[in-house]
Amino acid sequence: MSSDLSSALCSAASAGLIELRTWIAAKARDLPPEGLTDDLPLLAGRHLTSLHLPELILLLERLRREAIDVDGLQAGDFQDIRTIAARFLPVAAPSGNGATQ
Amino acid sequence: MIADPSAAGDRGPVDLGAVGLTWQPSGQVVLAGPLQRLFGDCDRGFTVLAAACDAEPEEHPAMIDARALQAVDYLTSFPHLATFPISLEASKTNLAGFVADGPMDPTGAVRLAATAPVRQVLTPAACYHAYVHHSGETLAAPRYLTFRNTCFRREEYYEPLRRQWTFRMREIICLGTRVEVVAFLARTRAAVDALLHELDLPVSWDMATDPFFQPARNPLYLAQRLQPSKHEATFGDLAIASVNLHEDHFGAAFGITRDDRPAVSGCVAFGLERWLFALTARHGADPANWPDVTAAAGRAAAATAAAPAAGAAAGQTAEGAW
Repeated sequence: MSSDLSSALCSAASAGLIELRTWIAAKARDLPPEGLTDDLPLLAGRHLTSLHLPELILLLERLRREAIDVDGLQAGDFQDIRTIAARFLPVAAPSGNGATQ
Repeated sequence: MIADPSAAGDRGPVDLGAVGLTWQPSGQVVLAGPLQRLFGDCDRGFTVLAAACDAEPEEHPAMIDARALQAVDYLTSFPHLATFPISLEASKTNLAGFVADGPMDPTGAVRLAATAPVRQVLTPAACYHAYVHHSGETLAAPRYLTFRNTCFRREEYYEPLRRQWTFRMREIICLGTRVEVVAFLARTRAAVDALLHELDLPVSWDMATDPFFQPARNPLYLAQRLQPSKHEATFGDLAIASVNLHEDHFGAAFGITRDDRPAVSGCVAFGLERWLFALTARHGADPANWPDVTAAAGRAAAATAAAPAAGAAAGQTAEGAW
């Protein structure tokens, strides 16, 4: 892979991760004082609920340009931003504990 | 310790006609004699477990308001399971036409005339009534309830005691904070485990999802996959009990609050006919070999009460511990 292509993919992945964080920050409720972090438990903490899931899946499908097979979803796949990114935006998984707000 | 669940797999159904089972191919059973007594014994056993939770008994009707069910998206999530009570439009002309045409066709189907608007659904699960009945309540403490109802679910096929159009379901529910409900589910699951051990019924506890219509974009189905909220006690391939955490799905829909937030709810459900299947598959068709379920439940409740800390603490600290 050329360095230009690799750079472009990383840039797109980073943009996807930023859009994911922004979307979740806009939808999440009852955030802790430290705000939304990449390891905040989204469903277990009830920050996101079932009503958010179809729209979140559509967002991920748009970001990865590929459909998600919902029958392949596993418990914990949407645990937190880090897990979602690693599972659905593989090259965009955050390495640190980035806070978005 | 529950025995190896695989041991249940090779036990097929036994012939129960001699002990009181009559099967109606429409998906219903008549129970009489020893099997009817075992049915009563099972339900008394479950009420012993309910009493150990200080659950208040309630009796609910056979039909539930369709608007209330749809408030939690039942009819869009499970239209294939719903059964509706219908009646004829009440004008004399319509009724006279119904009679004059002959009410039955040669296949045994009713020749319906015009029907009245359908505003009720035959109970699909026992606990829906409770959330409707307690709607708008502000809870000062967790509330525990128990009830049994005849439930109706349209299925693609039916099997005696295993999959029926009408069947009986006993439930124990808790309304409270999330910590209170998760602790209740952990305690009650431990009591069910103890009962299964007493009855020598081998099961496995499996994560499960409800049979949603068009599940791929149903938020509730997605949530059940991603954040498991339903666990079933499976005898062979048959779920005989389930433990369910609803989060605040019902509390929010019906305005039930606890600690100034929508109440969380959870339920433990027992399919009574399926317990008859499991008990007779395990112990045979001779009533002399059937266990005393009520006595077993008493021992199970006592054993669970004597060691409450593990279950309750696990429920409070660990997701999925129940």
